[in-house]
Amino acid sequence: MEGRNVNVMETINKTSWEIRNDIGIITLDNPPENYLVQPDFVHIETLRKWTSYDYLKGILICGAGKHFSGGGKLENLFRMIRDKENINETISKGKAVLEHLENLDIPVVAAIQGICFGGGLEVALASHIRICSENALFAFPEINQGVMPGLGGTLRCPGKAGFAKTIKLILSGDMINAEDAQEMNLVDFIVSKQKVFDYSFNLLQKLTKDRPLPVINAVMKALKNARLLSIEDAMKEETRMFCELALAEAKRRNGLQENQA
Amino acid sequence: MKIPECSTVQLVFDEDIGFLELNSPPSNTMTLEFFREFASLIEFMRDQQEFKALIISGHGRHFSAGADVPVLLKEILEKTETDKDGRLAGVPEFLSNNYKSLLMLESLNIPVISAIRGVCLGSALELALFSHFRLCGEEAVFGLPEASFNLVPGLGGIYKLCCISGQATALVRVLKGSTFTAEDALKYNIVDKIVPKKALMTSALAFAREVMQDFKVEKRRLYIKKYLS
Repeated sequence: MEGRNVNVMETINKTSWEIRNDIGIITLDNPPENYLVQPDFVHIETLRKWTSYDYLKGILICGAGKHFSGGGKLENLFRMIRDKENINETISKGKAVLEHLENLDIPVVAAIQGICFGGGLEVALASHIRICSENALFAFPEINQGVMPGLGGTLRCPGKAGFAKTIKLILSGDMINAEDAQEMNLVDFIVSKQKVFDYSFNLLQKLTKDRPLPVINAVMKALKNARLLSIEDAMKEETRMFCELALAEAKRRNGLQENQA
Repeated sequence: MKIPECSTVQLVFDEDIGFLELNSPPSNTMTLEFFREFASLIEFMRDQQEFKALIISGHGRHFSAGADVPVLLKEILEKTETDKDGRLAGVPEFLSNNYKSLLMLESLNIPVISAIRGVCLGSALELALFSHFRLCGEEAVFGLPEASFNLVPGLGGIYKLCCISGQATALVRVLKGSTFTAEDALKYNIVDKIVPKKALMTSALAFAREVMQDFKVEKRRLYIKKYLS
């Protein structure tokens, strides 16, 4: 069966959404640098709605044009900091969006080219697979304004790069290139500039096209458990999910046999 | 000392080193009986004090092609409790025992080394992932093919692969379900060293002798750096 498409693109808050072949595409759509207008660059309710289609098999996040995202724009950041009453809530909303993406039961791939700074890098870190172009640049520039990454980057980055490298990246505010980013496990694949989107989209298709959703969901849940649970609990749960799928598969095979008989 | 008698897997000792060999040629398929016998041997190893290392390998040309899936499915269908809607109500004990024996393997306080030759697929790769070190011969073939027959690795393989190779590699390898080479396995940290096929057992043994003198599992990476790179 051909995958489903939702051709009508929806753009809210400088973030766009469409579905191609059962893959949802979120585009940070505020060119040229695709600054995030606010921490919740897509409202959580909107994101829940977008990701609620039960045939979706993967999500791709990319930036419009040459860049992934420059993160929060400085003047927005200052305005946000001055608004003391609401700053906590504003940041919590942004965190909720990234947590929602990270905890989805379908794979989320970030297709990164050009700049991937600050909040943009935090979006990428919440994805399950990061693919970047050879000209991509990464940084947490927050320190230059006397602040730090606020959307979970300080928590997600050590999980990939280790503490020492994370501290250096955040405290220096320095920019690193694609190769260095791969070396420190911030990105998983580097491809040529023209190919980032196609490569990422094709990988998602290849991984999910022939796989039933329950299998995809079980794999994603097992990976989530690896992040969150103790080894004993994670293994117990993995065996339970295996058993559930095996039961269904055994019944399916029995059914096939009976039909043949 | 009485080693439990087994037909699908053998445990023998050479001085203070144990050799556990998967033995249902040609592909050393892991049957229900294998999992029972394997568990009893690991339990036996846990209670021994005089042994200093354990080397796991497959009889003949292959490590193992993994679980006997049709039989496993049949057993699960028979043994699994379901609710009135036919949904899973409880995981059968024999299945839980399988992952528990891998946990027990990992918690042995002697170095556990998998020496992998030929194919190492599915549950066999999961078993190898729970040993402390993995050496493989050139041309060894790895894979977690479960997703291609509508299943997932179920013995903690996803968990372990995520810890060892990272989330992205685990996701790609498990969902793709295709096999990969020894070189890829090295790149993913799934194996610690590739050695010539014929030198596999001697390399594993030499490594065991080095590392068993003062084995502490938390120094794993240090030993790999010191003796295997």
